[in-house]
Amino acid sequence: MEIESLFQLKSKFVTREVGNELIVVPLSANVAQMNELFTLNETAKVIWENLNEGIDMPTLIQTITDTFDIDKYTAEKDLEFFLQRLESLLKK
Amino acid sequence: MAAQLNSISLVIAGFSIRLFSDHEIQLEDGYLPFVETQDVAEPDFTVHCIEHMPGIDLDASDLLFQAENEFQKFYSVYSTGSQLAFIIYNQQTSNEIQQIAFLDESFKHWTVHCEVVNDLFLPLRYPMGPIIMHYITLKTNAVMMHASCAFDGTKARLFTGFSGAGKSTMSMLWSKAGNQIINDDRLIVRKQEGVFFVYNTPMYYKDIPKKAPLSSIFLISHSPENRIKKLSGAMSISRVMAFSIQNNFDRRFIEGRLDLFTELCSQVGVYELGFVPDESVVNFVLANEQ
Repeated sequence: MEIESLFQLKSKFVTREVGNELIVVPLSANVAQMNELFTLNETAKVIWENLNEGIDMPTLIQTITDTFDIDKYTAEKDLEFFLQRLESLLKK
Repeated sequence: MAAQLNSISLVIAGFSIRLFSDHEIQLEDGYLPFVETQDVAEPDFTVHCIEHMPGIDLDASDLLFQAENEFQKFYSVYSTGSQLAFIIYNQQTSNEIQQIAFLDESFKHWTVHCEVVNDLFLPLRYPMGPIIMHYITLKTNAVMMHASCAFDGTKARLFTGFSGAGKSTMSMLWSKAGNQIINDDRLIVRKQEGVFFVYNTPMYYKDIPKKAPLSSIFLISHSPENRIKKLSGAMSISRVMAFSIQNNFDRRFIEGRLDLFTELCSQVGVYELGFVPDESVVNFVLANEQ
């Protein structure tokens, strides 16, 4: 998924920070999705918080590596996993 | 089915609701134990019941929410200026409109239109009544849950999960162990003076109003052996909230719910409970809850 569309998607959720995690609730008119709530871990939370207008993938990966002291490969994998998870939500 | 006067006061989960009409209002049996014999002077909520359907054109209105499954529609919610409009469908004859209702912007005053059918004027006929109760909880420190609840005289334990997870089975097992069952399907959890209580609501059968202090919440599923795991933090909040009744078309509803569930899950124990459907689960819970 493109960063830009993810940024637009962000406005369709309500979030709540609890400790180091983030609860993500979709604003939805579809009752079938109501049993789906998501808890984002610390890495996903940082990705989510940095999905701002105009950000690009390299900047996002750099933010992850800077925040968690992990290598670029791991950051890319974490980002890929996060995007897949959001994509799965959209397909429900 | 009992005939009532043109004004009826109900108290459900501690909320007072006055129904009034030019026509004689009737209630389904399950509401009768919740009727107050003395009129409440200043009800928390009012329902003006009108015995005909209004002409309504929703083409220019925004469809906000549609409650339906693959088999039938339940209700639709539209925005009509400052009001919400509800189209409620008959659950026996799918897609036939049963009530049209309006809720003002304070969320305190309803107008419910429905026809007199077979000499019966039933403005709260299912699912209208539970919809009103759900919208009452949205503006108060309360929430409706799909759950069963057992009360041992000190602690109320709430059991929730997907359809078929064993909510009714749990009720039966805890009842055999001497517990009072608050209800085995639909409950209101309400915060009052800093404490969370669980209430039953009118069902299709008669039951007395019940209230108990909520002690713990169990997310249940069938399992080859009894097992329990305490949840905390974001996981407990998101898991419990998923089993509440939600109309998530308005950001403010969700924010209110997140506030409520964050506080609820900080006050009561939340557990994942896999259970064998026999009496052993009762002692297992008593031995392992913290």
